[in-house]
Order: sequence, then C-alpha cells, then structure tokens
Amino acid sequence: MSTKAKKKESDDLDDDLVASKAWDSSILRRLATYARPHARHFVLSFAVLIVLFGLDLCGPWIWRHALDGPVLAARAAREADAAADVGAYTSEFWRWVALYLGVLALSVFFRYLEVAQLNKTGQVVIADLRSRLFAHMQRLDLSFFDKRPTGGLVTRVTSDVENLNEMFTSGLITLLFDFVKVAGVLGFLFWLNWRLALVVLAGTPFLIGVSLVFRGGARRAHRAVRARLSRMNGYLQEVLQGMRVVQMFRREEQVSKRFGAHLAGYLEANLRTIFLFALFFPVIDFVVSAIQGSTLWTGGVHISGGALSYGEFVQFWFYVAMLVSPIRELGERYNVLQSAFASAERIFDILDTQSRVVERDGPDAELRAPLALAPDELAARDLVAGHVRFEHVSFSYDAGVEVLTDVSFEIRPGETVAVVGATGSGKTTLVNLLLRFYDPSAGRITIDGVELGRYPLSRLRRHFGLVLQEDFLFAGTVRENLVMDRPEVDDESLAEALETSRAADVIARLPGGLEAKVAERGATFSTGERQLFAMARALAGDPRIVILDEATASIDSNTEARIEAATRVLLQGRSALVIAHRLSTVRRADRILVLHKGKLRESGTHDELLAANGIYARLYALQFAEAEPAA
Amino acid sequence: MKRLWSYFQRFLRHKRELVPGFLCIPLAQLGDVMVTIVIGNTLDRLRAGSDTEFLRGVFLTILGWAVFKGVFRYLQRWWIVAVSRYVENELKQELFDQLTRLSFRFHARSRSGDVVSRLTSDVENIRMFLGPGVMYSLGAFVMVPASMAILFTLNAPLAATMALPLVLMGLGMKAFTPRLHKWSEAVQESIADLSSRAQENFSGIRVVKGYGREDQQIARFEAAALRNRENQVQLGHARGLTHALTHAANDSTFVVILIVGGLALIDRTLAVGDLFKFIDLTFKVFWPIIALGWIAGMYPRAAASAKRIDDLLAERSEIVERPDPVRLADVRGALRLVDAAFTYDGAARPAFQGVTVDVPAGTVLGVVGPTGSGKSTLLLCLGRLFDAQGSLELDGVPMRDLSLDDLRGALGYVPQDSFLFSATWRENVGFGVDAPLDDDRLAELARVACMTNEVATFPKGYDQLIGERGVTLSGGQRQRTCIARALARDPRVLILDDALSAVDTETEAQLLENLRHAGRGRTVIVAAHRLSSVIRAERILVLGADGRVEAQGTHAELAARPGWYRDTWRRQQKSQELSVLG
Repeated sequence: MSTKAKKKESDDLDDDLVASKAWDSSILRRLATYARPHARHFVLSFAVLIVLFGLDLCGPWIWRHALDGPVLAARAAREADAAADVGAYTSEFWRWVALYLGVLALSVFFRYLEVAQLNKTGQVVIADLRSRLFAHMQRLDLSFFDKRPTGGLVTRVTSDVENLNEMFTSGLITLLFDFVKVAGVLGFLFWLNWRLALVVLAGTPFLIGVSLVFRGGARRAHRAVRARLSRMNGYLQEVLQGMRVVQMFRREEQVSKRFGAHLAGYLEANLRTIFLFALFFPVIDFVVSAIQGSTLWTGGVHISGGALSYGEFVQFWFYVAMLVSPIRELGERYNVLQSAFASAERIFDILDTQSRVVERDGPDAELRAPLALAPDELAARDLVAGHVRFEHVSFSYDAGVEVLTDVSFEIRPGETVAVVGATGSGKTTLVNLLLRFYDPSAGRITIDGVELGRYPLSRLRRHFGLVLQEDFLFAGTVRENLVMDRPEVDDESLAEALETSRAADVIARLPGGLEAKVAERGATFSTGERQLFAMARALAGDPRIVILDEATASIDSNTEARIEAATRVLLQGRSALVIAHRLSTVRRADRILVLHKGKLRESGTHDELLAANGIYARLYALQFAEAEPAA
Repeated sequence: MKRLWSYFQRFLRHKRELVPGFLCIPLAQLGDVMVTIVIGNTLDRLRAGSDTEFLRGVFLTILGWAVFKGVFRYLQRWWIVAVSRYVENELKQELFDQLTRLSFRFHARSRSGDVVSRLTSDVENIRMFLGPGVMYSLGAFVMVPASMAILFTLNAPLAATMALPLVLMGLGMKAFTPRLHKWSEAVQESIADLSSRAQENFSGIRVVKGYGREDQQIARFEAAALRNRENQVQLGHARGLTHALTHAANDSTFVVILIVGGLALIDRTLAVGDLFKFIDLTFKVFWPIIALGWIAGMYPRAAASAKRIDDLLAERSEIVERPDPVRLADVRGALRLVDAAFTYDGAARPAFQGVTVDVPAGTVLGVVGPTGSGKSTLLLCLGRLFDAQGSLELDGVPMRDLSLDDLRGALGYVPQDSFLFSATWRENVGFGVDAPLDDDRLAELARVACMTNEVATFPKGYDQLIGERGVTLSGGQRQRTCIARALARDPRVLILDDALSAVDTETEAQLLENLRHAGRGRTVIVAAHRLSSVIRAERILVLGADGRVEAQGTHAELAARPGWYRDTWRRQQKSQELSVLG
C-alpha cells in the first residue's frame, strides 16, 4: 500500500519515471501473454534474423576462400613465373565473386524484410494491446477518471503503448538476437583460430562493461534533460496562455529572464549528455583498437610462423567488426528496455485496476423488471415507470469525509425533484449515485422497486436522459453528437426532439445544418448552445428519467428563452432530478430538496418550504423577494 | 539551402568552440587512418617473416595512435556538438522574446499549439539537421578526400570504382524519400487522431457513460488503432527499402574491393597489406558518407521548419512606442474615448465600434452586453494590447503618444480567464511588482480580495503552490487571486473583465464594496455578464450584439428604458442563482 502511494507520488512529480526494477521478469512474462496470439510474427522475425545472420557470416568466409585459394595461388604462380597462365585460378576467383554477389542480393532482400517484419510484429501486438487498454479503461468507474489528469491517461494509450513497440522490436527481439549473434560470432572465431579468439574473448568484458557503465550515466542525464525540457515547455505554454496578462503588466523582460533561467538549466543538462557521449565513443573505439592490436600481435606471430593464412586473418577481422557492433548497442537496448518497463508498469497498473461499480454477482438474468430488459424484449419504453427511491444513502469518495449522510427521498413516476444547495453540499454526488457512476457506501437506491446494482449497467443508463452543466460535445458533426450511436434514435425522433426543444432553428443557422462540423470540445458553441444541444440529445432518446444540471454561466437571452422552453418539454411526463439554479425551475418542481453539507435539511414544495420558514425561506427572502413582483 | 544558410551562420558565430573543434577533426582522422596503415604495413612485413619484438612495437604504436585519435575525437565532439546546443538555446530565447513582444493581434489569430511547436520541434529539426550536419560534413570533407587520396595512391582503378555504389545509393535514396515522407506523415496524423480521440473520450467520460456509449467508443477507437497500425506497417516497408538500400551500397563496395583488389593482387599491382587497408578504410570512410546521406534526407523537413521560424521572427508588432513618448509623472486615471472601434484580422465586422465615452478619474464605468459584443476587446484596447481606431486618451494624452510603461503601469488588469501561473500564491500576487511582497501587504491584499479565509486554509500559507502541482483553486478563488494581483500594483485604473462571474453574489457585493473603498479615487472599468456587478457604476455602457453602442447611462436610467438592459435585468432578477445557501 505504501509503495503504491509512493509510486503515485513520483508519477506526479516526474512524468518520465523509470521502472521500479531494472529487470522485471514478471513484466516480461505478462507481456509475453499479449504477444502469444501473434507468435507467428515473432517466429517469422526470428527466422529472418537467423537467415540474415547466416548470410552475414558467409561474406567473410567467401573472402577467405577467394584470397587464400585462387588469388594467393595465382599470385604465387606469377611470383614464380611472371608469364604463368593463371586462367584456371581466375575463373575459380570469378566463381567466388558470383557466390558473393548471390549472397549480397539475398541479404539485401532480407535486410528489407528485417525492418518490415520486425516493425510489423511490434505494431500488430501493440495495436491489440492499445485497443484492449482503451476498452478496459472504458469499463472503469468514474472515480478512476476523477482522480487522474486526462493528459496522463492519454499518454497511457499513446506514448506508453508506443514504448512497448520499441520494446518488442528494438528491445526484446533484437536484444535476444544480439546475444545469439555475439555467441555465434565468438563460436566462429574459436572455430577459425582459438588463440585469436581467446584474445578477443578477453577484451569483450571490457567492451560490455564500458557500454553498461556509460549507459547508466547517460540514462540519468537523459532523464534530467527531459525533466528540464518539460518544465521549460510548460512555462512556455503558460506564458502563451497568459500573454495578455504579461503584456498588460509590462512583465515581458522578467518573463524572458525566467525563460532564460529555464534554458540555462536545460543547457546544463544537455552538456552533461554531450560530455558522456563525447567520452563514450572514443573509449569504446580505444578498446576496439586495443583488441585489434592484440589480435594482430598474436595473429602476426602465427602468420609469420605460417599457422594462420592471410585469408583467415581477413575473415577474422570482419568477424571482429561484427562482434563489436551489437555490444556497442547493448547499452542502448538496455535503455529502451528500461523505459519500456516503466511504460509497461504504468499500463499494467491500469489493466489491474478493477471497476468498483459492477453488476453484483453478474447481470441478474432472473430480473424481469422492464428496465432490465434488452431493447427488443421491451415492448414499450413506457413500461419503465421511473420510480426512484433513495433510502438512507450515505457516501464518501475516498474513505474520508462523508459527502452525503443518510439521505432519503423519492421521485415518483413523472415527478420533478429539484435540488438546491451551496457548492459542495453534495448535489453532484446525488447525480453520480443515481447514474451509478459510484455506489453508495451505505443505504440503497432503487428504481421501480429494484436496487440499482441488480440492473445491467448499459440497460440502466439507456433510460436516462442526461444534461450536464458544462455539457460535452465531441468532435464530429452535430448529428453525430445528437444521435450518439443510439439505435433507438432515428431521423424522425431526432427531428421531433429538435423541434420540441426549439434547437431546430439554431441548427438551421449553422452552415451545413445537422452535418455542421463540431470543433474539439464544441469550442465553437456557447455554453447555452451546448446545453440546448444536450437537451435535444436527451430528448431524442425519449428517456424515462431525466437528470438535469442547469448551467450557471450567463447565457444570452435568446438562447436562455429556448433553454427554458426545452426544459419544460424535457421534464414533462418524466421523472426528473434537477440540480436547479433558476427560480422558474424551482417553482415548477413537485418537490424541492435543500441539501446542506451532505444532509437533507428540508424538503417540500416551494410554498411549503416558504411557510416552514427555514433555510430555503431565508435564501428566498435574501435573493428573490425583490424579483417576486416581476415574476 | 539559402534559408538554412542563415541558421548555419549562427553556428559559425561560435568561433571559440568551433575553430578548435574543427582543428581536432583532421587530427582524429589522422589517428584513425594511421591505425589502419600501421596494421596494413605490418601484414606486408609479416609475409617476409617477423619477430615478437617487432610485433610488440606494432602493438604499442597502435595503442598510441588509438589514444591520439580518442583524445581528439572526444574534443571534437565536445566542442562541436555543444555549439549546436548553444545555437538551439539562443534561437529559443530569441523566439520567446519575439513572442512576448508581438502584439495581441498576433496571439489572437495563432493557435498556441502551433506557436509552441515552432519553439520546440521546429528548432529541434534545424538543430538535428545542422548540428550533426556540421560535424559529419566537416568530418567527411576531411576524411573522404584523405582516405581517397591514400586509396588512389595504393591503386587508382580500385579507388575509382568504389565510388560507384555510393552514386547508386544517392539515386536510390532520392527515389525512396517521397514514399518515406508520405507514410511518416500518415503515421503522425493517425497518432494525433488516436490521441485526440482518447483525450476527448476521457474528458467527456460522463456523457459517454451516462448514455452507455462505451461499446461504440471502443469500436471507434479500435478502428483508429487499426488505421494507425496499417500506416505504421506501410512506413515499415518504406523504411525497410531505405535500410536495404544503404546496406546494399555498403556491401557492394566490398564486392568491388574483392573483384578489383583480387585481380590486382593476382596481377601483383597491389600489395597484400594494401588490400587490407582498402577494407578497413572502407569501414571508416563509408559511415560518414552514409551519415551525410541521412542528413540530406532530413533537409526538406529542416527547410520547412526554417521557414516557419523565419515567418515567426519576421512578424512585426504594430504596437510600438513613439521615438519620444510622452511621460506622465502622475496619472490621475481619466479616460476618454471618442468613436473608438476595432476590427480583428479577417473579421467581417468590427468587434466594437462607435464607442464614445468619458470616464472621469475615480469613477466606475460598467460595460455590458451579450456575448460577442466586444467587451473584452474594448478592455484590451485600453491597455493598447490592440490599437483601436478613433481617439483614446488617458489624462488627456492620446494613448499612442504615451510611453507603454506609463500607460500599462497605470493599469491593473483582471482577465476573464483568470489566468494564473503554476507558482506560489505569493509569486502570483506579486507578479506585477518588482519587489517581493511582504506578509503584511499580502494580508491586506487578501483581505480586499476576500481571500483571507481561503489563504488561511492553504497548508503552506502564502507560499502555497497553485495549479496542477499544488492546490487547485476554484473559479471564484482564481478570480479573487487575480484581483489581488492587479491591486498589488496599486493601479490608477482597475480593469475587471467579467472577473466576478464565478464569485457568489454575496461575496461579489462584499468585493465590490472593498474595491470601491480601497480604490477611493481609483478609476474602475467593469465588464460583466451579471448586471449586479455594474448597478452602482456611475456610468454603464451597453454594447449590442453587433458591437455598436446600444445605450449609455446609469442603472436607474437603463432599467427604466425598454431594451436589452431592462430585459436582461428582469430576467436575471428572476433566474437568480440558488447556489449560495448556508
């Protein structure tokens, strides 16, 4: 529990956190389960790499045989007799060349396959994982979303998943294969000449050591660079957003200095990486040269002693070059794995989060209440009565302060219940509980006599019409936003909803009408228009129960009048829970609930509450008495 | 290329690092080549027979050259690569300063994401092109001719044929690059699509869940993920082609060496050790050239980035001070506007027009009207963030003639979006003043802004961090913090742009009272949607939906007259919010 909390905290502080462990085989095993369905691609990738490796080994082998065979023989013949006929040697030489060309052609083709196949393998796996992750997130309850910044969640399905791709391709497959390569090449070296091979083998740990030591430093330095960069970009974004304040306050110079300080920090971190890299390559080069020098030393003795042929030496030289490159890359692969582990941890963290709002003991198949029926089983939507009861409901978000305490009330079919109360009095929580975004911590909520938890979630919510205060529009067309992929909404019900909500002429004014484009988050529409669309959207589904959170922001009078009319239609003949901000709505409500600090303090009609002379009456006297004659 | 030249020159300015860095290049290459030559010569000697003594000498010579090479390669990288970072920083600072200088007209029409990307990815593209470009091209300029010269002296025909594969690679690259470009753009787009879909879904999750639309959302996301996968696979094919091509060029160089070198060996026109030199120098020559090829492939993107940066740097603010601006020693705060108007770039009609109003020092002006009537724009013009047409005067001096320091120094501005920095409350409130604010002053400002109770709940008091990494303030708290920030400057003219909308009515009344009290003799301009904010103003300006002045007068006058003001007043009276119980 405490390590979990600590992890959360570091997540907040450093978006580029590293994995908690350098090597985590449980993560690998788990990733393997996602890779297994695509084993075919992995096998294919490995096959391509093996063939390529074989072809790579062929080249130097051809060199050796061409040199030691026809070339040196012909040269020796010429040395003995300048006019000697070397025709037989030359034709043998050309055969080797032809073979070399063949190998080359094949390896070019396989190099193409290498990149294409490895890439495809990774993409196939992550496209799958990405969809699964997103689907899982869709099923999580609202507390999951309420607790986490949206940007972080987006990162999970984008760059974190992307990192896993790196892991599968340039990380896992290539790393595994690099081991095969190093082992294979070393084996060949031994087969070729064990003395030279011993020299190389003695040098290899130095190469690996340098590579790993360096990467440790480079990783820290890289992380510092990224942290500084994100802080700097954050400041930049902030200043752009607040440019009018900066300019109005004449703070251009100060802001520029501040940015300069960010830049200086960024530069410092960068110079550290540059230093490390500038050091790394020469050091590796030096180790390689030392290995080559020792090879020459040892090999030279044997060449002059005749135990090693010239061709063998050349072949050896090629192989040493083949050995060095995977080791040089080793540190880099390790870093890729590291960052992939971190991403995997974050992704698994989400996949392991279970929704707390679940159908109890699975969907209740026995339940024959109309609301629990599938659309094709339900003869008429009117059969759902929409009788809502809150019975002694208490709720707290995180085992802490109670937001609602022992709240009981009832919405009889067709009734409108208005909730009033200060910010933080628990109004929104009532809505969250009724929609079953959360489950109450005590007490129970029923609709038509059946506890909410027994209804299948999707069928339950199908009967709600939801209008939020700052309602959300999705990028797309107006029609898509109003229909929301609901099978029960067709052109006819949509047209009717638009007509009755008086949104039709607002839409008629849009270029393209219903097909008009909606920008990201509906930014091009005013709060009022967005609420009007949300009402039309709710109406189009002909819901039995309406949840309406009235907008508080000021709305221009034209839209205001439409909203008022739409509200009337929406509430007509349906059970409704309204978080009310307008006097007109409150006065028309069948019952008003006055919430105060999570407790239901008063309940009754407008007139009853006034007569009771309690909180509501005080408020009313304070704010509306003046307006009363005009109303 | 011409466009990038100016950026190249920025590199050249850093002579102190570049000159020694450049000098290191040939020295490092010399070490590199010498290692090869020593080994090659040794191979020749060996055939004649040799002893351990000689071989130990060779080994030490190789180590010596390797150290020599390593030292200079290190210095070369350290000096030259660091310069690319210096240039990056200078460029970023220059762009940033340019952004703060540009008038609001620019900021109003540009999307912030676009501007940010110029400072980040565009600068990065140029650095990636020119930084390694400078190093590798200079390296190649030295290494390639030097190696070629050596190879040519060894065997001219062999050296000449080695260039052939390189030419082929160049041509192939040219053919494949468009394909690479096309798919990498497609991948970028599909990733952006995925990310905005996820962003939207998570932000609108209440609606998604409220309507039980999870399955449809999943299906849409899955389709987008598959599109991305398809593009990625296609990009993989394109990458595979270029990858194969590069290796083909590399490998075929060795074929050339084998053919020409082998024949030369048979003909005894080439020493055995020299063939080795060919092989090893090819390992060393080839890669700088391939690197150059890659860098050349980055050229189109770098050029496009350079253009975008140039465009930004070429922007000129139309808000400039006169060469000899009028200085006001003591601002009284009287404003006079005659027939003021302003039109946004590309807008069909003026944001506001025909505004003529007289605001004596120490009075309150209310500005009301429906959304889009130009209230905010009018307020911004008072600080000359835009230059409005018509005559705008502060204390009888045209604003255009005033020094910007004096004009804006007299103002306290509270923005509509209640923008705050992610910094401490103290830093935020003290943003507009030079000296840090002491606790007494902060206490006073908190009191006037009705924030005392809230600040008392901050775990760290005045030094509480605000924003994502600290305490999240409610809309009303943000607005009041912004008011404290404006008051900290003790402005002669206080400008409130719908700055009380999220404050409940009771606090609003208290706040207005405080401002009036604190600002005795201070001019206050209040734009508001809620008319209760302006009812006590000496004068109220009513702007119409078309940006024209619809009416002007006191609350009593306007409320008595038929029109937008009276309608709105009545409606707002009726629909008063019920949110302040308790």
